[in-house]
Amino acid sequence: MTTAWVVFRKELKDALRDRRTWMIVLVSSILAGPIALLLLSTFIASVEENVARREVYMVGAGAAPTLVNFIQRAGGTVKEAPAGFREQVASGELQNAVVIVPADFEARLARGESIRLDVVFDDTSTRSQGPSRATLTLLRAFSRELGSQRLMARGVSLQVLAPVEVEEINLAASKSRGAQLLFLVPWLALLGAVVGAISVAIDVTAGERERGSLEPLLMNPVSTPAIVLGKWAVVASCSAAVVVLTLLGFRTAMMFIRNESLSALMQFGAAESGLFLAMLLPFAAMVAAVNMFAATYGRSHKEAQTYASYLTMLVNFAPVIPLFLSVRDATWQLFVPAMAQQGVMMRALRGEAIGAVDILLPGVIALAITALALGAQARLLQHERIVFSR
Amino acid sequence: MIEVQHLSKRFEARVEGRRAQVVAIDDISFVAHDGRVTALLGPNGAGKTTTMRVVAGLVHADRGTARVGGVDVATDPHAVRAQLGMLSDARGLYGRLTARENVRYYADLRRVPGDECEQRLAMLSDLLDMKGLLDRRIEGFSTGERMKVALARALIHDPQHLILDEPTNGLDVVSTRALRRLLLHLRGAGKCIVVSTHIMQEVEQLADEIVIVAHGRTIARGTAAAICGEAGTATLEDAFVALAYAEPAR
Repeated sequence: MTTAWVVFRKELKDALRDRRTWMIVLVSSILAGPIALLLLSTFIASVEENVARREVYMVGAGAAPTLVNFIQRAGGTVKEAPAGFREQVASGELQNAVVIVPADFEARLARGESIRLDVVFDDTSTRSQGPSRATLTLLRAFSRELGSQRLMARGVSLQVLAPVEVEEINLAASKSRGAQLLFLVPWLALLGAVVGAISVAIDVTAGERERGSLEPLLMNPVSTPAIVLGKWAVVASCSAAVVVLTLLGFRTAMMFIRNESLSALMQFGAAESGLFLAMLLPFAAMVAAVNMFAATYGRSHKEAQTYASYLTMLVNFAPVIPLFLSVRDATWQLFVPAMAQQGVMMRALRGEAIGAVDILLPGVIALAITALALGAQARLLQHERIVFSR
Repeated sequence: MIEVQHLSKRFEARVEGRRAQVVAIDDISFVAHDGRVTALLGPNGAGKTTTMRVVAGLVHADRGTARVGGVDVATDPHAVRAQLGMLSDARGLYGRLTARENVRYYADLRRVPGDECEQRLAMLSDLLDMKGLLDRRIEGFSTGERMKVALARALIHDPQHLILDEPTNGLDVVSTRALRRLLLHLRGAGKCIVVSTHIMQEVEQLADEIVIVAHGRTIARGTAAAICGEAGTATLEDAFVALAYAEPAR
């Protein structure tokens, strides 16, 4: 029986008897996945509903029958805005834009004068962006129609008015548009790897120092690399277990959430699950090793948690960076851990083809970092200040 | 046999916000023979723990040598640890494991076969009176119970040499007696035992040989009678105070 195996069995038993381990497994994997998907699906549904309905809220719709007629011809419905609509719009209760119609709308229209329409909306929330944009588009179309009618009445060709004719051809398939929201799915799986590793990583390193059990442990005639390897195997297993459970959570949730638009938007079949695993397992190995290395510097759980939280922040943040970049899925992103995994998994969800390099490069980098971190930690355990300072 | 010659060790530490060299031990020498209990007696901070860590190969000495059973710690720390059992100041047990599992972990790390481990554990739990503890988790254990488990763990590979750092810290009378009984048993079996302590009574009852350590130096060594004679005092306590708390001659 090798040293690493002995350490692995002991640490695994120790971790499985720790209530914290089970809490984390339960909360992060079993709950987080399904809850995230449920939110996502209601979100998508409500967005679709709003856009589909094309509701235009108006104050004083009665004063503008021409406009109301236009909107109805375009397939929309006109609703009278509720009292106190400004507050409702600001609070997000009313997601549509509200058009304020002046009383002399028809009179100015008849005189051929320009009419001012105030449109009240709040586009901070993603959910209100769709409906607001729909209302504005309708109003612009109305304005364009009026303009062309007036020019035609004066005998001017329509081509003068529109020297450039813009036709919108949006290539983003409906699948692809929804995948922007699906950012959450791989992101949660990445976080699962981190969360699954943290508590155990701290317990087998800083916990060992806090208890004073590191010194007697190193008193045994065993090599520190073997001890580190055994401990890492447990941390990596916990991390991987949470990843697997998170993915299972997604799959189960997909079965229960009978939302056609969600299942149309998101590819998450057996192939995608396999790819997610291929991306996430080396990542879990890396997160386990790096977390252990950082936590070894902690003299207590508390101190180690501080170091671990910096790492968590990096993993949280790295995948978000590409959202702010104009070029998506650039090659260099494959070299950045967390960002690489996120990018490739997103592409898989969008239904894009994934090449061998996309899987191998981030995996090899993660495993290389794992080896470095484990080596560094084995050396660290020979430092007197780590072994004895408590 | 444990032989320690002219050990010295400095640590880097922060003193009033500045990095400084702190002398942990300056010049420590003693010999602990097989079949005897040797006591390292000294005030807190005298360098007893550091000396034991050097002997165990956990700390590298700046100067001097430490040999355990003829093996130099600096050249082969693994061989030294293999024939050494150590009860460190922090007992360092795993709270979620039972006493038996704690002991088995170290037995496995030291490649002690399972049946041999069980036999020794049965014998040790007899000597230490800890039968009822074996299959309970450490979490609720008292200081005395923890000491017993840690001691059983340190002895599970039947080491020829045993080092105990402040073994009676926080122990009640009954546990102290159990410890004393075990040490006398081990001495009878020809083991080499080194105990660090600052408790006079313990030394008088246990030690065959006393090494007084103060300010990181060996101040005196010999039997209790020899040390009293050297200091010209009637009791060991008086001799200890006279020798250990004198101004360091530098």
